[in-house]
Amino acid sequence: MAGRFRPVGLVAASTALLLTTACGGASLGTGEDKQSGPVKIGLLVPQSGTYKALGDDMKQGFELYVAQHGGKLGGREVEIVVADEGETADSGKAAAEKLVKQDRVLAVSGVVSSATINGVKDLFETGKVPLVGSNASPTTLTGTKYIWRTSYVNDEPGKALGKHVAEQAGGPVFVIAAGYQAGKDEVEGFKSTFLPAGGKMAGEEVYTPFPGTKNFQPYLAQIEKSGAKAVFSFYAGGAAVDFVKQYRDFGLAGKIPLYAPGFLTEGGVLKGQGEAANGILTALNYSADLDNAANKQFAPAYTAAYGSAPTTYAMASWDAAQVLDKAIKAAGSTVTSESVNAAIAQVGDIDSPRGTWRFNSGGTPVQPWYLREVKQGVNTVSSELGRLGG
Amino acid sequence: MSGWLDGNFVSVIDGVAFGLLLFTIAVGLSLVFGMMDVLNLAHGTLYLAGAYVAYALSDGTLWGLLLALLAGALVGTMGGAALTFLTQPLARRGHLDQAVLTLGITFIVADLLAAAFGGDVLPTDPPTALRGTVDLLGHAYPVYRLVFIGVAAGLALLVYLVFERSSLGALVRATVADRDMVRALGVDIRKVLYGVFAAGAALASVGGVLGAPILGPGPGVDETVLVLSLVVVVVGGLGSVRGALAGALLIGQVQTLGVALLPEYAPFLLFGTMLLVLVVRPHGLVPSAVRA
Repeated sequence: MAGRFRPVGLVAASTALLLTTACGGASLGTGEDKQSGPVKIGLLVPQSGTYKALGDDMKQGFELYVAQHGGKLGGREVEIVVADEGETADSGKAAAEKLVKQDRVLAVSGVVSSATINGVKDLFETGKVPLVGSNASPTTLTGTKYIWRTSYVNDEPGKALGKHVAEQAGGPVFVIAAGYQAGKDEVEGFKSTFLPAGGKMAGEEVYTPFPGTKNFQPYLAQIEKSGAKAVFSFYAGGAAVDFVKQYRDFGLAGKIPLYAPGFLTEGGVLKGQGEAANGILTALNYSADLDNAANKQFAPAYTAAYGSAPTTYAMASWDAAQVLDKAIKAAGSTVTSESVNAAIAQVGDIDSPRGTWRFNSGGTPVQPWYLREVKQGVNTVSSELGRLGG
Repeated sequence: MSGWLDGNFVSVIDGVAFGLLLFTIAVGLSLVFGMMDVLNLAHGTLYLAGAYVAYALSDGTLWGLLLALLAGALVGTMGGAALTFLTQPLARRGHLDQAVLTLGITFIVADLLAAAFGGDVLPTDPPTALRGTVDLLGHAYPVYRLVFIGVAAGLALLVYLVFERSSLGALVRATVADRDMVRALGVDIRKVLYGVFAAGAALASVGGVLGAPILGPGPGVDETVLVLSLVVVVVGGLGSVRGALAGALLIGQVQTLGVALLPEYAPFLLFGTMLLVLVVRPHGLVPSAVRA
């Protein structure tokens, strides 16, 4: 029978295999730009893997805008080509290459992951095709001419919250975040406004291994031991659900207020957290209950179409469609990727469900930020935290 | 209580809970690989299937949990039988072919589960009667995790008695040691193989049902569970129940107490421990007496 086992090699091989992910994508015919025919817009969003839920939100937001405008952007019929971003920079890059080189789309929207947007930066810059991104926006992404984001820079939710927490905490604040780039960006953003406002940290900030951490008990014990009066945390996706539920399970909820960038309680994760999320305070550029004209056009229609309240991801994609709508219209008779990109730079104020915003010189929004509290399983706006991005 | 233990008491208890969860999952992987020589990388998927069963059937009552346990055991048994059937033709072609096949199955099943349940994490709540916290020497600790420790310890004892103390277990170990001899005695070897695989798979799915409130169902959980199980199996030693228990309890403590004491080294603790154990005991803590 079988000879010697080589467990180490097997584990190494298995781990390597686990890290590889398949990618795929929808495929439609190719075509040159026609001045009168439909325009092709690529949607680069995850259709599979860990980020699928975000991808679905973004796709739905974009499609809703197009549907609300008679299937047109800028007066031109739209053909949406969806490509699967997948989970990794490699799968995202392959899908982006297909959209730009094979499908020859006029412009692209989407992109969930920061790794993807870093990986496709050169493709859009050298190909001179505009990417109106509606999520990923790492702090390192600067100096681009063809890459726009309708979301926010990764460190802004933390920045928006810093001063407020410093004023409200009434004691030292424990800082804990997922140990990857976005977590570090958020913590740096938070500290950049929290410390100058007189905030005190309860010890050094803690980064939990990402994505491996499923059991937060040891960290929650540390929080308890530290004597902190409040917690600032950054988690998203599955980790956000685990963290929030265990925060309640180990008896910290209701005792130590929990502050976070909005992802902690945004979209599907909030459903997963159930009543464990009640009382959590988050900062974000959007809340489905905002009272303004654009949101009245957006939120109820979104809920009616998809059966759940819109998230910031869906809203940013709706806005990305709006930006393209205005830019294609402004490009007039010569609709090319370059003319649309030039028009985006001139697009001016966007009347958005989040409130009015405009692109700054870095291609990200100058926009209002809100403090939200989860009440009975729903994010509700409690106050405005000011504008960022200028 | 004095300072050190008081500060880390909850972590020690939680390490036991987490370790027993890992044992329930990993023991099946260890037995199927160590004894039956089938490398099943779909093992994490069996856990995930059990966790989704718990999500679908949990209605807040103890009966819901019981029903989920039965359904989970059934799903696991059937999954294990199907995997035996699929991996059988590859028995002579070595572990790499088995790894590729079972990993392919995990990708397919993971996408099917995502299509059925969506891309969000859907954690389950324990039955109402087992929610809330109890006071453990001045620290809050979830009731459910305490109950889990009791149930999982019972499961561990049962597995140990069946595999290492019963005549059925003796038959399995004899099959591993000398297939031809057992076959000559008139035993259908394939039944033993199917039986061990199905039992190991059922344990993983039952672990998924019980573990759902701790490691809830969602995309990616299967991979997390598989990696942890492989680490437990390597650390504990292949094909032995006691090894799986020793490995699981050690990894449980590393992941709780270790992380509480050395948070800055958290990302390296798991694999550092694995490295250390392999350097000192290359066959794991308690390697199988039959195979070693």
